[in-house]
Amino acid sequence: MPVIEVTGLAKDFRSGRAAVHALRDVTFAVDEGRFVTLVGPSGCGKSTLLAIMAGLIAPTRGEARIEGAPITAPMPAKIGMVFQDPTLLPWKSALANVEFPLALRHVDPATRRKRCMELLDLVGLSEFADHYPHELSGGMRQRVAIARGLAQDPRLILMDEPFAALDEQMRTRMGHDLLDIWEKTGKTIFFITHSLTEAIYLSDTVLVMSARPGRIIATLAIDFPRPRELDIIGSENFGRIRNRIWHLISERGE
Amino acid sequence: MKARHIRIMLIAAALLVLWELIVRSGLVSPIIVAAPSDVLLAAKKDGAVFLRALLITVTEIGVAIVIAWTLGIVFGLIVGSSYLVAAATAPVLSSIFAIPLIILYPLLMAWLGVGPLSKVVFGVLAGFFPIALNTIDGVRAVDRGYVNFARSIGATRLETNALIVFPLALPAIVSGLRVGTGLVVIGVIVTEMLASLGGLGYVISYHRSLFDTGHVYFGMALALLIALGVNIALTRLDRRIGHWRLQQQGES
Amino acid sequence: MSAALAGHLIFAALLFGGWELAGRLALVDASFLPPLPQVGAILWGFLHHDAFIGDLVLTATEVAVAFLIAAPLAISSGFLLGERLHLAATFNPVVHLVLAVPQSIFLPVFILAFGIGFLEKVLFGITHAYFIILVNSFAAVRSIPPALVAAARVFGATRAQVYTRIYLPAMLPLILTGLRLGMILCIIGVLLAEMYASRRGIGRLIFSWGESYQIPELIAGILLVSILTIAVNEAMRLIELRVGRFYRNAAGN
Repeated sequence: MPVIEVTGLAKDFRSGRAAVHALRDVTFAVDEGRFVTLVGPSGCGKSTLLAIMAGLIAPTRGEARIEGAPITAPMPAKIGMVFQDPTLLPWKSALANVEFPLALRHVDPATRRKRCMELLDLVGLSEFADHYPHELSGGMRQRVAIARGLAQDPRLILMDEPFAALDEQMRTRMGHDLLDIWEKTGKTIFFITHSLTEAIYLSDTVLVMSARPGRIIATLAIDFPRPRELDIIGSENFGRIRNRIWHLISERGE
Repeated sequence: MKARHIRIMLIAAALLVLWELIVRSGLVSPIIVAAPSDVLLAAKKDGAVFLRALLITVTEIGVAIVIAWTLGIVFGLIVGSSYLVAAATAPVLSSIFAIPLIILYPLLMAWLGVGPLSKVVFGVLAGFFPIALNTIDGVRAVDRGYVNFARSIGATRLETNALIVFPLALPAIVSGLRVGTGLVVIGVIVTEMLASLGGLGYVISYHRSLFDTGHVYFGMALALLIALGVNIALTRLDRRIGHWRLQQQGES
Repeated sequence: MSAALAGHLIFAALLFGGWELAGRLALVDASFLPPLPQVGAILWGFLHHDAFIGDLVLTATEVAVAFLIAAPLAISSGFLLGERLHLAATFNPVVHLVLAVPQSIFLPVFILAFGIGFLEKVLFGITHAYFIILVNSFAAVRSIPPALVAAARVFGATRAQVYTRIYLPAMLPLILTGLRLGMILCIIGVLLAEMYASRRGIGRLIFSWGESYQIPELIAGILLVSILTIAVNEAMRLIELRVGRFYRNAAGN
């Protein structure tokens, strides 16, 4: 049963006088508990698509649905988000940041503290609960952001290039840890990235998007068995898949 | 640290003695520059008068600060929350800020008399513009990502503005408060000098017209104390508000 | 139409429109707020009145002299302090103390020391302009990227060339901002001194109109000074923008 269904999505913007066609006829579905990644060239509309799926902007045509219900506004109980910039509130501790969405919902302090400490534990930061964002590294801040995204226990997590600002080693490690978290929580994850390696390593399915106006030009099933170790990245099979995606993007690209 | 403090105090003491000698020796007329001993004499003689005047001035300043802060911040928050309104309004505020507001005082004098009211109103006028401008800037500078985050967790407009945008804008607001409050203090004291029934500025002016230089210098010292006191208080506030911001900026 | 322009037009419309309306509908006592046309006529009359022009010129002269003395002094001091940081370490606390202290308060002391003539006004204006221009010039020198200077030296630039080709364009924007702020403060200082104790000058005129409840003249005078100072501010801001853009482009080469 698909958690997310996107049908015929299109989005046009006005930029000055000209109309910009960001997305054109995007259609796909994501099943429950799957890890799906969207890759595509820069500026192809990936972030726009994510914003529509999050309910932050409305599509020009078509629609997105979650569990059958149309997405017209943010649904924090069902959809959690992690952005490229962790956007942690600098004057709150890590724990307070994770608790923030629950505090807004007026969840009582004891309950939310317990739940959020569990989440911090899940992302490996329980010792840093009282630290402030400026005391944490970039990777740690992003982990707090992930814990925060899980705070309201949504079905679906949308992630917009969350590791793009990290250096390569940190990025690889975060990917590995993310898979860990995903397997433990059983969420459905929709992930956006530039990095083909990251996409293939992490996902069950990779959606390949064309350059603007963005369309899904291919859907690849990634069959590596789970749990996946980092050394599959060097394997021949991995390289073949990456080449394939690369060709798809560059042929239909600029 | 200690040694430096002692050195500064010694230098200050030496300067005071030098100052006293220069005036006493007749090199400079005591009408133009008061000797430290004249200042102390003035304090002893009319200390009570000055204190009463000081109280009036401090009250006027206090009231003006409260009003200017409130008006400036609220106005800035409302205007700042819309890109278009901010883009249209901020330049107008800037232009008005370029006008020497002191020339408006005679009008206030004619309309409101020379009592405390005209002083307070002028003080509010003087402080309002930098506070409003800085608040607008602070709100506009908040990263769009934070607003997106707030929406994604289902925060209402009010919650977003109060719990996320406002604290993020606070450092900028506080620097506006520093500039604006300084202007309030100057505004009140200067208008008291120009035309008033009472207050520190009035007493200073009165003694100037009588060439009681010692009294004038004493009054100035009190005025400087107010200005410095306000400055120190605001620096404290700035530091408390911004401690996380400074760290953050250190990294990016 | 830019938002800024629209904002100004809307504000002007509200201000003058509201004023005219208040006059037409007799909402406010005419002695409190004389009708717009009356004030406009008086303002127009000013420009043809020799005595008024005389006062205006006097004030403008005081401002100009003060500014022309303060600016080069402040820029060179700022430059010196910026280059010789050990001097800066000594003077910095002093400068900051002075800036923390509102200079306008010292007016009575100035008058005791220098009387109420041309000299006193100019000196008062100088103190207002000097420190802000100094601080900005100092910041301007400090803002020059050392890498740029090093690169120029490597390419064999002479001292003079380094100063004119690298220092000057890099410093110009901040210095121009300092000059604009200095001008505003200088005008405030001179006007204040005139209002407080003077025989002639626009400040004195405006203050005496206030004292004698000549409201139409008072408002006309305020309007005139406002327009003039806004014009000066905008003109200097335009220069700032133009020069900034020019040197930004030049720096790209």
